[in-house]
Amino acid sequence: MNIKAILPTAAFPSVHSAWKQYQPNASPPLLPIGAAEVDRRLHGGIVQAGLHEFFGGAKADSYAAAAFALLLAWRLPDSDAGIFWITGDKERQTSGRLYPLGLSAMGGNPSRIWLVQTADLRDALRAAADTIRSKAAHAVILETHGNARLVDLTSTRRLALAAAESGVLALLVRGDAVPMPSAASTRWQICSAPSVPYPGNAPGLPTFDLRLLRHRGGTAPFAARVTWDHATRSFFDTPLSGGLSAAVTDTEADPQQRFRA
Amino acid sequence: MVEKQRGAMRLAACDTAALALGLSAGMALADARARVPDLAVFDHDPAADIALLGWLADGCERYSPACMIDPPQGLLIDITGCTHHFGDDAGRLAKDLKQRLRRQGLTGQIALGATPDSARAKALYAKSAIHALPVEALDAGDKVHQALRRAGLKTLKDLACRPRKPFAARFGKATVVKLARLLEEEDTRITPRRHVPVITVTQNFAEPISRNNDVLDTIATLTHQAAAQLNDRSQGGRRFEVSLFRSDGHVARLAVDTGTPTRDSALLMRLIRERIDTLSDPLDPGFGYDRIQLSVPTADILLPSQAGLETKVDRSAQTAALIDRLSVRLGSDRVRYFAERNSHIPERAVVECAAQSGQPQKDWPQATEAGPPMRPFRLFETPQRVESLASIPDGPPRQFRWRKNLHHIVAYEGPERIAAEWWRRKAGHEPGKGGPTRDYYRVEDSEGRRFWLFRHGLYSETDAPIWYLHGLFA
Repeated sequence: MNIKAILPTAAFPSVHSAWKQYQPNASPPLLPIGAAEVDRRLHGGIVQAGLHEFFGGAKADSYAAAAFALLLAWRLPDSDAGIFWITGDKERQTSGRLYPLGLSAMGGNPSRIWLVQTADLRDALRAAADTIRSKAAHAVILETHGNARLVDLTSTRRLALAAAESGVLALLVRGDAVPMPSAASTRWQICSAPSVPYPGNAPGLPTFDLRLLRHRGGTAPFAARVTWDHATRSFFDTPLSGGLSAAVTDTEADPQQRFRA
Repeated sequence: MVEKQRGAMRLAACDTAALALGLSAGMALADARARVPDLAVFDHDPAADIALLGWLADGCERYSPACMIDPPQGLLIDITGCTHHFGDDAGRLAKDLKQRLRRQGLTGQIALGATPDSARAKALYAKSAIHALPVEALDAGDKVHQALRRAGLKTLKDLACRPRKPFAARFGKATVVKLARLLEEEDTRITPRRHVPVITVTQNFAEPISRNNDVLDTIATLTHQAAAQLNDRSQGGRRFEVSLFRSDGHVARLAVDTGTPTRDSALLMRLIRERIDTLSDPLDPGFGYDRIQLSVPTADILLPSQAGLETKVDRSAQTAALIDRLSVRLGSDRVRYFAERNSHIPERAVVECAAQSGQPQKDWPQATEAGPPMRPFRLFETPQRVESLASIPDGPPRQFRWRKNLHHIVAYEGPERIAAEWWRRKAGHEPGKGGPTRDYYRVEDSEGRRFWLFRHGLYSETDAPIWYLHGLFA
């Protein structure tokens, strides 16, 4: 007896193809960062419908983490859906407000940004979950500061599930915090990096040192330095310059060591 | 009740017992004490009186949406067309009001009249017929009253049958108009305390309800009715108010605002639930609600839209719904968008507007093709003071200390000189009075962090200028 004959694949090839057509995409859409080397290591980019965590390397690097998250949101194609920036009163007090003239100078469109300011982190997490679920947003950035007990496995799992369901890019910025177990797809450590100076020793384009701390897909941690180009709205790999050792790109290298050296 | 009038303590108001003892308002407290040694006096508090009247007026909205406070002691209710709940009998309505007042321990003189003036005068002089009112009801000043009394005209009945023209010549037109209003010959409108809503739907209960679910179910029914009415008028509400009339006279109000006109009852119910959840003190039904009212104070045109065949997601509707929801929960000033303003001072150039108030500005300045961003991506509302060290007085900083950390500057660009808005200052156009100029520097420290610093004041303007950190670059 030929078992294969009773399989729908062989018996009704048309049904099978129709079935395949309505199957959700096997691989979820990826958002490439733009920097070739980083995208190669990530096998194409970060999951667009997922939660990603960004830690600041040092206390003063929480701004860099927030900036990197925002620039990632701008990597998304233009659409009429907004980017929701959710922040607490405390965060706004410590790190200032978003400045739209600076945002447009970085190639973004400030009219897409909706600001949501909450009194505390509990409200912020709830607002973020609702925003992700509503499908009105293209990206949701939740900014937190300090080691918050509320941002735990449960709350991040809630955000991650909502993001996976609605296809929204959820970015969690954790300034001045120690990495804890969470349900995020990727976890990054972001530091400001010296830029390639412009003529006249003027500070250059936004430059970041990235360090992938954890990847749900199993990608090994690595470190890289990328620069944001506002004209193309993408990152590019940055050659190391100045008095820095080439070891920074090495997987084991700690961006922190560079500061101590 | 006593209050201080021209340096003397005088009685401002007295109750019926005091009146029976021969005391009256306006009497000096010392005289009153002499007559009645064990007189109980309290401070007169006109603000509390008005607050109580306001509370009563809220409760009286169960009878009519048009209620008005008539200071110092009156309430006017326009019950035209509002008596159907009482079998078209205004007397039964008055009786109901009197009962409710009595339950609160209040006594009131209730009078019905075809015009506000006649009703007020009848209540004030406790008469049921207009003709029995004294001429003082004209409220035209002591001289007029005295003149009328001297002429033997003591009540309105005496005035009503006389020709008006000589009367107008003697006492002025205003008095005649007042007389016509008192005699219910000419009607005026009252100015209601609250805007009469576009749509009002109500539900009365014979037995007060107090369970939360019952209340929510009733609100849902009312929302459906209001939505249907709005649909008939091709309108959508911008504000929805739920008034919960407690059987003891208290009225609780909940209001939700929407950014765009809507008549989607499911959405409204979500917003109202959200509103109830965020109340700082939960709804207290007490002995139960005997009337629930939903009103739509403001409505805009909302034409019916046809749903497309394809299941395309309507992003703008979703965004509006989300913004309404967050605004109801967090407060409407906490969900915002950016708008540009006409100023060259960085912190004044941009404002954040409540998301429900309008649409975000579309045309922002585009990024320059080449060169790094010249404006920071984060700005401090109040510039942060830093200790800075510059190599030459008018030059760029060499290092600065911010939040206890020392930053060594390795690259800088500047200064970008931004003058103060001298026209905002008194005599700002005169030299040296326009306010300090700011010299902005874009700097990068040895660890790769980029900041926006400025020196407040040139050395020609001030001796010891202060450095501030104003923004952070990515």
